[in-house]
Amino acid sequence: MSSLSGETAGGVGARRTRPAGRRREFNGRTALTMLAFLAPAFVFVLVFTYYPLLVGGQMAFRQWSLWDLTSTPFIGWGNFQTLMADPAFTRVMWNSVIWVVGSLVPQFIIGFLIALALRKKFRFRGLYQAVVFYPWAVSGFLIGILFRWMFNSEFGVVNDLLMRFGIVEAPVPWLADPDLALVAVIVANVWYGVTFFSIMILAALQSVPDELYEAAALDGAGRARMLFQITIPTIRTTLVLTVLLRVIWIFNFPDIIYAMTGGGPADQTQIATTWMIKFTQQGEYGLASALGFITMGVLVVFTGLYLALLTREKKS
Amino acid sequence: MRTKITTAVAAVSALALALTGCAGGGGTDGADGGEVTLQMVESLTNPTRTELLKTMLADFEEANPGIKVQLVSPPTEQADQKIQQMLQSGSGVDVLEVRDLTVGPFSNNGWLYDMAGDLESWDGYENLTDQAKSFTIDSEGKGYFVPYGFYGLSLFYRTDLVKEAGFDGAPKTWDELVEQATAIQDPAQNRYGYAFRGGANSIGQVMSILEAYNADNLDAENAYKVTSGDSIFSTPESQTAIDKYIELFTTGSPESSVAWGYAEMVQAFTNGSTAFLLQDPEVIGVVNDSSLTEDQWSVAPNLVGPTGKAAWPMATAGWGVAEASEHKEEAVKLVEWLSGDASTTFAKENSLVPILAEAADDEFFKTGPWAAYVEMTSAPDTYLSVVEPRGSSWWTEWSQRSESDLQQVLLGKMSTADLLSGWDQYWTEKWEA
Repeated sequence: MSSLSGETAGGVGARRTRPAGRRREFNGRTALTMLAFLAPAFVFVLVFTYYPLLVGGQMAFRQWSLWDLTSTPFIGWGNFQTLMADPAFTRVMWNSVIWVVGSLVPQFIIGFLIALALRKKFRFRGLYQAVVFYPWAVSGFLIGILFRWMFNSEFGVVNDLLMRFGIVEAPVPWLADPDLALVAVIVANVWYGVTFFSIMILAALQSVPDELYEAAALDGAGRARMLFQITIPTIRTTLVLTVLLRVIWIFNFPDIIYAMTGGGPADQTQIATTWMIKFTQQGEYGLASALGFITMGVLVVFTGLYLALLTREKKS
Repeated sequence: MRTKITTAVAAVSALALALTGCAGGGGTDGADGGEVTLQMVESLTNPTRTELLKTMLADFEEANPGIKVQLVSPPTEQADQKIQQMLQSGSGVDVLEVRDLTVGPFSNNGWLYDMAGDLESWDGYENLTDQAKSFTIDSEGKGYFVPYGFYGLSLFYRTDLVKEAGFDGAPKTWDELVEQATAIQDPAQNRYGYAFRGGANSIGQVMSILEAYNADNLDAENAYKVTSGDSIFSTPESQTAIDKYIELFTTGSPESSVAWGYAEMVQAFTNGSTAFLLQDPEVIGVVNDSSLTEDQWSVAPNLVGPTGKAAWPMATAGWGVAEASEHKEEAVKLVEWLSGDASTTFAKENSLVPILAEAADDEFFKTGPWAAYVEMTSAPDTYLSVVEPRGSSWWTEWSQRSESDLQQVLLGKMSTADLLSGWDQYWTEKWEA
């Protein structure tokens, strides 16, 4: 009877039929132990992530200037309005888009090609992989400083090579010309980011069973067909997730631009995050925080897409 | 099991307490009976300078038993921010490096101790140069820091290139600089006249020519104003000056120098690409260490304008005491000690214009590249000592705005007239606000 009533109780009955051993695993004492182990991480995240986020959040709606912290009145959307009214706003946002797309597409294509090349076994492959992946271990600021000198018009290696090979006749003022400066910082970022795609795509490629290619070869499929009908569909999720992750990172990555041009000349290479640094340097933390909010809004969209895809992938 | 949980909870609590900042104050009383430990934070950190400071602090400790000094040396890029955080938290710092750029915000927020009262009874005050005195006790009678030295522009030049171009000496006026730089400029040979500063902090060089052209009417207390009370950017002399400056870029400077900051300028001079460089004395050490030989370069006084005068605004930094310090007496004692004889050693080692009047008699400052500084110091009617409003709360904003505007002019996207009227409007509005 009790068994019957338990079945009719639906979910409750289902819990009652759970093995006794599992119930014992999750008693009050175990919960307390788990809590004790989780607490340090929780406190850490609370103090170092959410507290600054809250403080930053309230700064965005206050007149918060380093120069006078004795008065930080609430000004509502004032900081956001100041930003939108700034003549540089449109350029900064447009530059941010160019920066992301201009960096991402070449990084993806070149990274993919390198990953395909490294998938094949050849002598010294390990050494070659280490050399190719090395840039990822270097600080973005350092990369920026190196490229700043490489693109120096008078004594940079880029112009020297271009002139030696007869590609240009006179030194090109890479970082002084507003249009070329954006190209130069994107080139540096492409060089830096290719490695990430190579690593991620190579890892995914190594999970594709060789049998698929062998079967396709027996059926007479060419390389292109294998690429588009086996390789890409099999690692599609990794590709999409990697691209989304990079969009978030590149959008949020001021290091190279800051070190190479500082956002110049004449603000022509300024993106959202370098502009934020500029406001911080001016002591205008309210404006910087408001810009941080706008940046976060954009990133939340991509993060949402990323998490949705990740969840779908886990379910599948 | 209960014991383990208790231990875990205790550990978590301890961690939480640590993370939420139950740190002690800056200076501490030692356990050995009344010994005071001062926390001192530097800003313009570099390894050699830090070592020198440590040596100086050891001497101070020896001369002042009972006072220990703990030096904190954050990386230069983050140092001011770190100091700001320490001051804001109200602990962790007794003595700190205060710059002319940070004294405004730091004092405005009540983070700096006003030493004016203490300095009244300090013997060393009378030994300071007039310039050092004017910073030690400011125009409002406040004493937020004692300078340890000054940075002031002078002209680094290539003696050999000047001679090869047919000139008999370094240029003395801005006109002569443009003439010589243009004559030396030869891009085909990768040789350029002037190491132009178009990038970060370019305003110092721009102001140098504007102030030279307005020298007869300059407000010495605020060199961004002329004696009529208007901004310096509103005068006809400034229009002539800025046009001359753009001519220097167009005819006698590398095209890419529109984006040059400190590093590129100094590198261009030390590697032999450019013949002239307008910079602070700290570059003397860098040039000494470069491939240029002693007979290839020298330093000339700052360039004068059409009336034969130049302004000599100085950038500076020094030592101050935190308002939150619990050991102000000992902290002030340290500041005074650092501002005495020790300051001359510090100035020599860091290539700074010294703060002590007697240092002018020191052979070190009389010879070689330093002679130009003595010449300028000894001719105050030609090289006018002026103060720029570097302590203004909007200084960084101004510095970045002026850099961007100047680059627009250099790129041909803005006229010099629009540049000056924009700057005139900017400063007038700031002063009126």
